[in-house]
Amino acid sequence: MSATAAPAKSFRPVELEVREDGTGNLLGSRCRSCGAHFFPVRQACSGCLSQDLETVRFSTEGTLYTFSVVRQSTPDFEVPYILGYVDLPEGVRIMGQIGGCEPDDLALGMTMTLSLEPFGEDVEGNELIGYRFRPGGAGEGRP
Amino acid sequence: MTQVHVVGVGMTRFGRHPDSDAADLGAAALMEAIADADIDPRLIEAAYCGHVFQGMVTGQRVLAQVGLAGLPLANVENACSSGATAIREASFSIRAGEYDVVAAIGTEHLTSQFRGALTPDPSDPEAAVGATMPGVYAMRARRYMEEFGMTREQLALIPVKNKANAARNPLAHFRKEISVADVLESRPIADPLRLHDCSPVTDGSAVVILMSDRAAARHANGRSVRLAASALRTGSVDTEPTSMTFEPLTRDTARDAYEKAGIGPEDVDFCEVHDCFSIAEVLRVEGLGLFPQGEYPIAVERGEASIGGRLPVNPSGGLIGKGHPLGGTGVAQVVELVRQLRGESGERQIEGARVGLAHCRGGKAVGIEGAACTVQILIR
Ligand SMILES: [Zn+2]
Repeated sequence: MSATAAPAKSFRPVELEVREDGTGNLLGSRCRSCGAHFFPVRQACSGCLSQDLETVRFSTEGTLYTFSVVRQSTPDFEVPYILGYVDLPEGVRIMGQIGGCEPDDLALGMTMTLSLEPFGEDVEGNELIGYRFRPGGAGEGRP
Repeated sequence: MTQVHVVGVGMTRFGRHPDSDAADLGAAALMEAIADADIDPRLIEAAYCGHVFQGMVTGQRVLAQVGLAGLPLANVENACSSGATAIREASFSIRAGEYDVVAAIGTEHLTSQFRGALTPDPSDPEAAVGATMPGVYAMRARRYMEEFGMTREQLALIPVKNKANAARNPLAHFRKEISVADVLESRPIADPLRLHDCSPVTDGSAVVILMSDRAAARHANGRSVRLAASALRTGSVDTEPTSMTFEPLTRDTARDAYEKAGIGPEDVDFCEVHDCFSIAEVLRVEGLGLFPQGEYPIAVERGEASIGGRLPVNPSGGLIGKGHPLGGTGVAQVVELVRQLRGESGERQIEGARVGLAHCRGGKAVGIEGAACTVQILIR
């Protein structure tokens, strides 16, 4: 935990792959020995302790486990924003902001899709790309 | 192997202390603990100091204030479990036969470090998306409400109970009773949690002095309480998402403690648990096996967790009412247990209490269920 307002809004390339066409994926580890997946990338599997892990792209669709509207945060984040946990089919639970909807549109268990979006600026004023989840499946003609 | 006895306790008032720092508060609590134990301070052979944000060698600064610099001392950081971990380390140094008299200090001057919502360490990927501790517990509250049908009003009864207890605790941060309506009308922090659901930013310190069997036989003043177990676990990285409405980490740490103490949850007379947020108290006591899963909100409604109830929870006021100076919290819980077990708790005294349990859980890291969890059991 932090007592400071250090700039936190950065996604490391090892956790979030951003491609030139604007698409991207969350990255994590898959254990070649037992098949377990982890976010973020790990150096050994906590299931079987194998060190034979590969970095994989995670699915961009998952289901909403739970969410909250955060109304008090650090100076880095404008409030309010919706924060949620999304379960991906690989068996990982990802925390992320939820965009493109009102809180009343959300229901636990609904399908969510990863979306790469502008996510504030770094200390030098450069635009950062981050991820949010948006309600609906990728094939459902989201805006 | 020797048993470990708590022979002296001290604690500052919890609240805002604009004219003191963490070392001042630690020193005041340490001197009170020495006076409470009624011992020559030179008997103390070593010390451990739990804190989170107070910088290098905070424990040494405490000792320097009271004339005890020179003792072996280790500073201990384990997020909200730092103070409890200091007690555990102190107890191990006695059980190992190295020392007979050891002080465990917990201290934090949080108001000078911090305002608003705690967040994970900035290096954590969840910090990058705007994770806050209230946000995480709010998400758990929403899920619990959905799974078990807990109402917002039922959840509000927890801060109402804890602040009623705090009103009877002269050392508590908040001394005013509140109503369910007060909770529901307080400022929203992270839906569905509101300000009264959250523990405050608090300054404070607590100290316990521990002794071996042989030291206690010579020096204890007849009011000592046995530290029957001091268990610690770190949350695991799970290979698949697990329920956030139940705490395997709390369950497993408690299991270690029950086994060490030779008791079961049915033997616990009262407890102090880590109610950093109202929903947290629900998750703690159910994880500890003190109430069946999904049933604690109803038990609170029936008064079972109140002083005078079947199993009082957080008679001190808990983190919500007494305050939450991170490093001080775990030690202050044990101070409350000792004073209750001695029968020194005045108008919040639990009659006939013999077995008390203290639970801390803190820290958030991506993919880990909870960073550090402690369960301590004290028996009169
Ligand atoms: Zn594996």
